[in-house]
Amino acid sequence: MKRLHILGGSVTALALLASSAFAEDVTISVWSLDKETQPAYNLAKEFNDLDNGIKVDYRIVQFDDVVTEAMRAFATGQAPDIIAVDNPEHALFAARGAFLDLTDRIAASDAIDAENYFPGPLNSVTWDSKHFGVPKATNTIALYYNTDMFEAAGLDPEDPPETWDELVEAARKLNRPEDNVYGIAFSAKASEEGTFQFLPWVQMTGGGYDKINGDGAVRALEIWKTLLDEGLASPDTLTRGQWDSTGTFNSGNAAMVISGPWELNRMVEEADFNWRVALLPVPEEGAPRASAMGDFNWAIFANTEHPDEAFQALEYFASQDERLFPDFGQLPARGDVELPPTGVAPKDAALKVFLEQLKYAKARGPHPEWPKISKAIQDAIQLTLTGQKTAQAALDDAQERIDAVLN
Amino acid sequence: MLSRRLRNGYPKMKRLLSSVTDGKGFDILLVGLPLLFLLAFSGLPLLYNVLMSFQEVDIFSLGRLIRPFVGLDNYRELFAAPEFWPIMWNTVLFVVCSIAGQFTLGLALALFFDTGFRGSSFLRGLFLVSWVMPGLVVGAIWNWILSGDFGVLNYLLTSTGLISENIFWRSDVDYSLWAVVLANIWLGTSFNMILLSVGLAGIPKDLYEASELDGANVLQRFFTITLPMMRSTIGAVVSLGLIFTLQQFDLFAAITSGGPANSSNVAQYWAWELSFRQYDFAKGATVSTLMIITVMIAAVLYVRSTRHEVRI
Repeated sequence: MKRLHILGGSVTALALLASSAFAEDVTISVWSLDKETQPAYNLAKEFNDLDNGIKVDYRIVQFDDVVTEAMRAFATGQAPDIIAVDNPEHALFAARGAFLDLTDRIAASDAIDAENYFPGPLNSVTWDSKHFGVPKATNTIALYYNTDMFEAAGLDPEDPPETWDELVEAARKLNRPEDNVYGIAFSAKASEEGTFQFLPWVQMTGGGYDKINGDGAVRALEIWKTLLDEGLASPDTLTRGQWDSTGTFNSGNAAMVISGPWELNRMVEEADFNWRVALLPVPEEGAPRASAMGDFNWAIFANTEHPDEAFQALEYFASQDERLFPDFGQLPARGDVELPPTGVAPKDAALKVFLEQLKYAKARGPHPEWPKISKAIQDAIQLTLTGQKTAQAALDDAQERIDAVLN
Repeated sequence: MLSRRLRNGYPKMKRLLSSVTDGKGFDILLVGLPLLFLLAFSGLPLLYNVLMSFQEVDIFSLGRLIRPFVGLDNYRELFAAPEFWPIMWNTVLFVVCSIAGQFTLGLALALFFDTGFRGSSFLRGLFLVSWVMPGLVVGAIWNWILSGDFGVLNYLLTSTGLISENIFWRSDVDYSLWAVVLANIWLGTSFNMILLSVGLAGIPKDLYEASELDGANVLQRFFTITLPMMRSTIGAVVSLGLIFTLQQFDLFAAITSGGPANSSNVAQYWAWELSFRQYDFAKGATVSTLMIITVMIAAVLYVRSTRHEVRI
């Protein structure tokens, strides 16, 4: 099955175009998870059609297979020239010298200026203070809330919860088990999604992946446990991803949900109530903000035969960042791109909040052994929420495991 | 030309040739080809897997055969992991309970359909639908049935008054493993039933007639004729069941992802998680090696138990 899929992905119009090109043309291969309606597929095609002597062989790689496919290809010397890789996994390759150092090329480039990028995404392509890639797009998480339910519960939609305590209080007021409505939905799944949702809470208290058992982190996890213990969030929070959790918000079975801008289009379509987005609540008033940072980065493999041409392609991709949101609904990872209004009022309002939230988005890692660090955090979340360990004990264990990875 | 020279000049070659076309050599050839095939496509990957469990495997040394040898370090670290014993125990529970459930239900259904009522063979065929469905589809359906807030099963249980509060099958540490066992029993029962039906059909009917004349009742006939005559079938069904349940991966991926807090994690899912989620290929291979050993012990037991059996 998988093999068939790969074959299907590579037999695209692009491949056909590439093979009919002139003999002296340089062909670079690009791997990304983007399908026909998504940016990389179209940008690669356009770049291929530019008639600049560079042809592009584009291949779609499934989300779950990106890292293993890339590793296998690199180990056997068949790596593509360019790959799109999920940001927490960037360092895995960069630290091992598998990605090309682009620092000098970026410094000399007219199309890519490192200064323009948000610090979070830029940090994720950086290893040892060198740039090993270019952020492809970005996203973050914030708090969606159902304003109709807010009003019905006597809460002011103009004044969404700003601190953790206010969030729990609001969830209590909004919770209506008799009507199958939970106060809040989020994801504590034992996968990267759980880490993605939890880490910002730790970062707001001054902690981070390398300091996961501070008092603030313990308090954050205890608040998550309160949400579950008091039945303010569904017990299925433990096994449900963000997409499914947000589904319960869209169907009116949760009054708030923590999720990202990738939900906007679906919510506009599905939700038959009024909703808004607020910044992620902070531990207490005036505390520093933080949020998760998601999405993919572009990178060039170190053993490419055409580094210049590959970089030219990345420059072209970056030059089209203005179109990311209007054409494809994705957020560019840079602050200098003006996003035009879409004409859908709740979406435009939400976009403003997400752009504000993006300023506080922090990279996961970067660390070459990120999956192990992430696993330690996931285990702590799950052990605490299922009542097998206290938040303190679980996070202490996680810290110990993380320390073993870091040292 | 060649054949004549063989026939006349090289008696030894001649004997060899004739033995290949007809005789011992032919037998060896028949056995040898599949053995070679097995060795190439199952044996070598198995050995490679065992080799990996003694090495330090890095994502960038995946393509190499020679890697740093670490002795038993992978095993030691694995045994020391706090989740090791719970996961192994889960695996035992999953395998034993799945097989017990599949076998009991399968045998009951096989006996039921063996009575040969009108339409029984048609109904028996319909049961195979569950076996034909891909694991991920079955997983998705059960996911929906077992869902906590709006699951079909919870609806049935609350409306019949069996429970008063929803059970979160997938997210409650006390139920998550059983959720997968339940789905797996449903998935495997029909296969058990078909194999056992074949076994039942192979028992000569005159045995029953004779025992009936001697005054044996239903239970006596079942325990003294049916079960002993089915010995080899039962052995095969249980061994295949062991292999299928140890291979069962899709249901875990679709229903619980091994969670929450590893409460429904089993060896086969853990091996995948270690290799392809944490990119710790050596540990993943180590778990797989432990599973190979288990299956081998089971295989030896199975072969020994059926070796002396009387064939009719």
